[in-house]
Parts: sequence; structure tokens; C-alpha cells
Amino acid sequence: MRKLVIMGVAAALALTGIALGAVGAAMAGRDPFVPLPEVHIAPAAIFHIGGFAVTNSLLSAWLTCLVVVALFGLGTRRMALVPGRLQAFLEMLIEFLYGFIRNVAGEKYARRFFPILATIFIFVAFNAWMALLPIYPTVGFKPEGAEHVTTHLLRSAGTDINMPLALAIISFLFVEIWGFKAHKLGYMREFIRPGGIQTFVGILELLSHFIRLVSFTFRLFGNMLAGELVLFMMTYLLVFLSPVVFYFLELLVGGVQALIFMGLTVVFAASAVAEHGGHHDEEHAEAAAH
Amino acid sequence: MEAEAAKMFGVGLAALGLIGSALGLGMIGSGAMNALGRNPEASGPIGSNMILALAFTEAIGIYGLVTAILLIFVA
Repeated sequence: MRKLVIMGVAAALALTGIALGAVGAAMAGRDPFVPLPEVHIAPAAIFHIGGFAVTNSLLSAWLTCLVVVALFGLGTRRMALVPGRLQAFLEMLIEFLYGFIRNVAGEKYARRFFPILATIFIFVAFNAWMALLPIYPTVGFKPEGAEHVTTHLLRSAGTDINMPLALAIISFLFVEIWGFKAHKLGYMREFIRPGGIQTFVGILELLSHFIRLVSFTFRLFGNMLAGELVLFMMTYLLVFLSPVVFYFLELLVGGVQALIFMGLTVVFAASAVAEHGGHHDEEHAEAAAH
Repeated sequence: MEAEAAKMFGVGLAALGLIGSALGLGMIGSGAMNALGRNPEASGPIGSNMILALAFTEAIGIYGLVTAILLIFVA
């Protein structure tokens, strides 16, 4: 009986939503009650410190940092051998990340890579997940005479291209630093290879390191922006309940994108610190052939 | 209005690029499932490698998507 009531309420909500949204409005031939969302690719400045504009996406990045620090501080304040719920959750997260990195990079380098990579994962994931909270699209400033909020106080930092670009640069720099640390100046042999076609291969290798920057940036930016757009459009089309499906999808996408950002960085880092065995093997094979 | 129509054509063409990405993602998924069926113990490395390949393939589709979104809202 209770199940029936719940299902009835859900169906009624979904149907009302469809009737109120743009889909129902188009069918009935009237204007929708929900306004078409306005899209700004560039973030809005909330206030200025000197000449530096503090945008809503930057505010949300700071908020993410605060929340993550508070969460981990709270979870590890009274650490027990038999962990409480929060501590168990954090331990699971850390163990999962460490296991992932160790699988790719090996025990020796996993400890060196772990702090920066786990930070990237946690920041990207929590930033994406927190952007699904209802305060993000509702709280903001309304200019005089306007009907709706036009400047939002918070906006997911991933939808502002500067944050993915900054993370991509961080990941790029750390990969190169680790490479130089492992091979000293010998790391340059990756790019400057003597002789014929090998010279060209070296240049391609160098180019590919910079192309990673672009692909890192646009992968995260595109996913976050597209996710946000899908949520807004679905809310515009089918007001209640039906958009929840897409909220679940975005929950998944946030985690997967964070994992991909971290995973690719650890793979690149592992290949940067790896011994260049393949190169020598090629030379041996060539010598053997002659 | 003519310029607007051309812009919308461009948006559609840019979004068509997602077909390739979608095909690639499907092929990677099917390959990974095949491998898992043959060798279930190797689910760990297969999974992480699959995610890696998915990320590379998806990035290409995302380029088209970003182009389309920028065309609609910025250009």
C-alpha cells in the first residue's frame, strides 16, 4: 500500500513536471513557466581585490578546498584503530587511490606520486559533486527590475576553463619534474634523439607532451560544462523528478572524470620515470640485424 | 538570418563528430567485455586500461562538443 502511494506521488510529480516544463508547454501551445536558462561560458566576477577579479567559479573552488579540509580534519581528528563511519569512508577513498596508483606506477614511485595525484582526484571529484547541490544554481544576485537571479554566487569551477587549464599545467609540470628527477639530464634523450628518423620521433614526443595540456584541459572542461548544460536543459524541459536521472549521471561523471585526470597523469608520470629499455632494445635489434 | 542558419549548420556538423567517439567507446567496451569473459581474473588491469582508452577516445568527442557549445553560445 505504501509503495503504491509513493509510486503514485512520483508519477504525479513527473507528469506535473512534464506539463509545467517546455515539453508540455509546446504541446499545449503556451509559454513555459520555467525560463530558458541563460548560458555564460565566462564566469561572472563577484568582487575585486585590487585589480584581481574574484569570480564565482573561483569562490566555489575555495569552498571545495574548505569543505575537503574540514571533512578530512573532522574524519582524522580522533583516529581509532576501529574506525568510525567518516574515518572508514576516508580510509576507503585513500586506499582505493593508493591502490590505483600503485598498480600503474609500482611500489617505488607510488609514494612519491601519491600526494599530488590524490589531491587532484579529491579536488576535481568534490568540486563536481558539490556543484550538484541546490545552492549552486539558486543563490545569487538579482539586478533591480530583473525577474530572476542573473549572477550566481557559486559556479562549479570545472565549468570555467581556467581551473582545468591550471590543473593540466600542474600535472604537466609534475610529470616533467619527476622525469628529470629520475633521469637527471638524461631525460632530455627522450626528445633529442640523434640520427635520421629518430630526430623526428623526438620532436613528436616533445609535441605530444604539450598536446596533453590541451587534451587534459578540454576533456575536463567539456565534460563539466556539458553536464551542467544537460542538467539545466532537462530542468527546463521536464521540471520535476525526471532530471534526477541526469543528476545521478553527473554524480558518476564527476567521479569518472576525476579518476581519468588522475589516471592519465599517473600513466604519463610512470612512463616519464620508466627506464628507457625499449630504446636500447631497438638498437640491439638493429645491431643484430646487421 | 542567413548567417544564423549557417551557424546552426556548423553546430550540427560539429556535433556529428560525436558519432566517431561513440563508435570508438562502444568498441572499447565490447573489447574489454570480451577480454573479461575470456580471462575474468585480469579484471583489474583490464578495467584500468579500459578507462584509459575510454578517456582518450572520449576526449576527441569532447572537442566536437566544445566546438558546438562555443558556436551556439559565443560565436
